[in-house]
Amino acid sequence: MSPRGRFLLATLCGLVLAGLVHIAVVLAIPTFSEADALSRARTGASLDHAMRVHTLATGSEPAPAEAWLPIPDPAVAVGICAYDLNEGPLRVSARTGPLMLSLAVHGRRGAFYAVTDQAAVRGGLDLVVLTRAQYDEVLANEDENEVSRDVRIVAPEREGYVVVRVIAGLPSQRAGANEAVQAVSCTVDTEEEETKPGG
Amino acid sequence: MSQADAAAPGSFPARARGGLLRQVVGGVVRRASDVSLVIYALALGGGLGLASADYATRGGYPFGGVAVGAWTAWPRTGSVGSDPYARAVNARRGEVPLAVGEGMLLTAAEDNTGRALDATCSYTVSGRTPPARAWTLTIAGRGARDPGRPLLREGFTSTEVLREADGRFVVAINPEVQPGNWLPMPRPTGPVRLALRLYDTPVAASAGSIERAALPAITRLGCRT
Repeated sequence: MSPRGRFLLATLCGLVLAGLVHIAVVLAIPTFSEADALSRARTGASLDHAMRVHTLATGSEPAPAEAWLPIPDPAVAVGICAYDLNEGPLRVSARTGPLMLSLAVHGRRGAFYAVTDQAAVRGGLDLVVLTRAQYDEVLANEDENEVSRDVRIVAPEREGYVVVRVIAGLPSQRAGANEAVQAVSCTVDTEEEETKPGG
Repeated sequence: MSQADAAAPGSFPARARGGLLRQVVGGVVRRASDVSLVIYALALGGGLGLASADYATRGGYPFGGVAVGAWTAWPRTGSVGSDPYARAVNARRGEVPLAVGEGMLLTAAEDNTGRALDATCSYTVSGRTPPARAWTLTIAGRGARDPGRPLLREGFTSTEVLREADGRFVVAINPEVQPGNWLPMPRPTGPVRLALRLYDTPVAASAGSIERAALPAITRLGCRT
């Protein structure tokens, strides 16, 4: 092969390789990113309440620097709960108030469930995120005479996060929106049946 | 490639100014060993691949938007069906996108006639929005905010905007104070973007069928020279 042909062949191989590297890098970014919402939610895992991600500025108090959303909505308070279903099912409890509230459950591949406060039963919204095995277990242990108000969602992956958004339509409602985000509890649902004598 | 062509054996003697470069490149190509060609191919592949991946996932979403008039709707950036580029962009920016059942984001970087939104111009955003329980209209410039500039207002919500008797609204985006719904320019110069977020809206599931008239029109009034 002539030197020129060899050079062209090398260039062609390089371009094909560039395409492969491009695809591989784009697909790998969500897995290796340390700046994504899931990684940040996990590092800042607060105990039983939603971690504030975007707290609204109220009156003289400016929005705190913890906000890492790139272009946040200045009228919406955002909180995040990271979950790991290996520890058990996640229970998200929200009390509905005068402000519009929405919950979205995100996995690694995107949000697979979202619900707003319009689905609340008697002012409460109880969301249980579980795996298929945990769901079957809950169904098997369930007392048929007891009515459950839980909304049960089977998660496709074991790790993810729940996003709480509360919209403050007026600046005077911003403090209330911040509190409403903080009031959402995210707890690991433990097996009560096992502790009961005789199950 | 043209350099390699021209630098084929027999291109001596050098004629023009480019001749020297061609000679050098040609000499390198002719003397290149297999090892150096492999290294060249690997470097080209790695460098181009990384650079193009970085370019495609930097800033906004490269594709997946639905253009409706001046606005672009992003219905699927947060759902399970989002494309790998949108996922990569979200991961790099730490963005928490709106899910389909939660709401939808629309952005605009141009006015109704296709001219880029500029901070030295004044605009009106008028009309109505698709059905939603709540919406917010916000304005932002590119990059970090100027800390020395007082932040008067970044946007309007559906609750606080002043409306006409028929439910339509007119938001005046202007560097100078205006009566009515005045939205100040976030910065003195440079490009700006508008974001319309619809919360709890049925149109997120069918973004392709939004009509142009269902979204507020962005009209340029004039520019400061």
